[in-house]
Amino acid sequence: MLEEFLTGNDLYHLVKLWAYQGVKVPRNFRLLEELEEGQKGVGDGTVSWGLEDDEDMTLTRWRGMIIGPPRTIYENRMYSLKVECGPRYPEAPPFVRFVTKINLNGVHNSNGVVDTRAVSALAKWQNSYSIRVVLQELRRLMMCKENMKLPQPPEGQIYTN
Amino acid sequence: MAESSGTDPTVDSNVVENAAKDRTMIVVTVKTPKDKEEIAILEDSSVAQFKEEISKRFNAKLDQLVLIFAGKILKDGDTLNQHGIKDGLTVHLVIKTAPKATSGSTSQNSASSSGTPQANSSSSASSPVPNASTPPGTGPAIQPPNLLSGFGDLSSLSGMGMGSANFMELQQQMQRQLMSNPEMLSQIMDNPLVQNMMSNPDLMRQMIVTNPQMQQLMERNPEISHMLNNPELMRQTMELARNPAMMQEMMRNQDRALSNLESIPGGYNALRRMYTDIQEPMFSAAREQFGNNPFSALGGNLDSGVQPSRTENREPLPNPWGPPGTAPSESRGTGSSTTTSSNGGTAPSVSSLPNPLGINASGLGNGVFSSPGMQSLMQQISENPQLMQNMLSAPYMRSMMQSLAQNPDLASQGSNPSADVSPSQQQQQLMQQMLQMFAGGAVTPEVRFQQQLDQLSAMGFLNREANLQALIATGGDINAAIERLLGSQPS
Repeated sequence: MLEEFLTGNDLYHLVKLWAYQGVKVPRNFRLLEELEEGQKGVGDGTVSWGLEDDEDMTLTRWRGMIIGPPRTIYENRMYSLKVECGPRYPEAPPFVRFVTKINLNGVHNSNGVVDTRAVSALAKWQNSYSIRVVLQELRRLMMCKENMKLPQPPEGQIYTN
Repeated sequence: MAESSGTDPTVDSNVVENAAKDRTMIVVTVKTPKDKEEIAILEDSSVAQFKEEISKRFNAKLDQLVLIFAGKILKDGDTLNQHGIKDGLTVHLVIKTAPKATSGSTSQNSASSSGTPQANSSSSASSPVPNASTPPGTGPAIQPPNLLSGFGDLSSLSGMGMGSANFMELQQQMQRQLMSNPEMLSQIMDNPLVQNMMSNPDLMRQMIVTNPQMQQLMERNPEISHMLNNPELMRQTMELARNPAMMQEMMRNQDRALSNLESIPGGYNALRRMYTDIQEPMFSAAREQFGNNPFSALGGNLDSGVQPSRTENREPLPNPWGPPGTAPSESRGTGSSTTTSSNGGTAPSVSSLPNPLGINASGLGNGVFSSPGMQSLMQQISENPQLMQNMLSAPYMRSMMQSLAQNPDLASQGSNPSADVSPSQQQQQLMQQMLQMFAGGAVTPEVRFQQQLDQLSAMGFLNREANLQALIATGGDINAAIERLLGSQPS
């Protein structure tokens, strides 16, 4: 599995080394699993995720995509997100922010940052959760009564800060 | 190589043709929320070509198709290779029921509708002509006259009291005025004329780019020209400038982001710079004069006095680069840092040399320096400025920073060290290791392979003895040493 994602001798060694360091094993192997799942389309096809930069050996910066659920105001739109898995992931939840502008409770209007308290997957994070879980929950939030009819900014706008 | 879509003649012929040309077909799963299809396509295809196939299979128009892979939208001009799409992977498809053109035109509507009245008013350049009517029509793309009329209107703004005929001068004047009077900015922004202009990204870009100051800025920072090519970005920047409250919020967010920076791995670079800024004065102070306490700058309550009463006799220590007799000090060094860590702050082993930095380990300020491992390190440094120099230039500085960055408790506030046990243990281990490295012998293999040892430990091989053995066996060849080490590890 590892061999698929790596280029270069050094990188290969590096990943092998990860296997022998207690703190890093859970994080990096977990993230590699998530990477693989993202590429294989695990899930129902309504969210997608992957590394922002394939060369990012720290597996920190991720990109997510949520397809707006039908019969809501978000329908047919694609929401791009940035997800950052810090060094303590999966013990600590990732940082999530929308790149595509969205009007959704729990997402800061000015910069798309997702309020940890508003998303239960983040607020009550467990290390068995994953990027997919977070994305799926955000999508579920879009289907809530309090959100599904909120007026939205024109399609395609992004946060710049 | 068997491809799955045997019933599709197009694919079949593709397969045959390309098998002959020795190009590889891959099978990619295309998944919509409702549906799933496997599509065979050439490995080196472009996204556009891929979409052609998809359009046939799903019976949808090309411009209705949006492909997503690994969280990114695939653009027509990209290739599958570019995104790492390989055989057996899954791409998500969204078939838009409303084609892109409709949603895209809303932003263009106001621009094109402004085109007409503006073209009319450009002849009467002397008076500002508010654009009263902006009917949300279904106009076509932006007309060229917009550009000129836009400029015309801008100079009409000069009628608002700036009195400059020259457009460039006008721009500069405007800028100056805007800087000093934010209200004017809102006034200007509220002018529907200006608003129409703002929604024309090309125009905006033109205006900005022709400004000489802007040009200078662009030369110095290429990212700015990058930014200018993103019309959304520009529009939002203008919105931001117009709304001081939003501006403030943005600043606050940046501050917040900065403090978040410390707890993410990328932040260690920032941290590192910060530490260098702190350490430079420390280092030069340590170098120049003993007795000076550079740590006072770090805040917290410090014992500035020298504390000879707490000294133990540690003769071999002063020369870490001396003959192999430093081995005892090596273990002592380890011992002292362990003792320090278990005592949680007091410094039982201070050199018989005057303690130049007068460090009371427990008295050091908040943050990074309050960790036990760090404290013992600081003591060592204070006893030997050479150590400091070595430390700064050492490659494992990075791993130290990394471990610091990995433990945000220590790195940022340092107020609750009891939070995480394991990371700080690792950190201490790292510290001990570093100290061992420092205390290494002179012409021994340790010294010979100092650099390699550093690299190995930075990569995470924490067993120094094994590292050394491996390096000795391979004559200093790092890669071979790694192989050796990994070969002996449990798999």
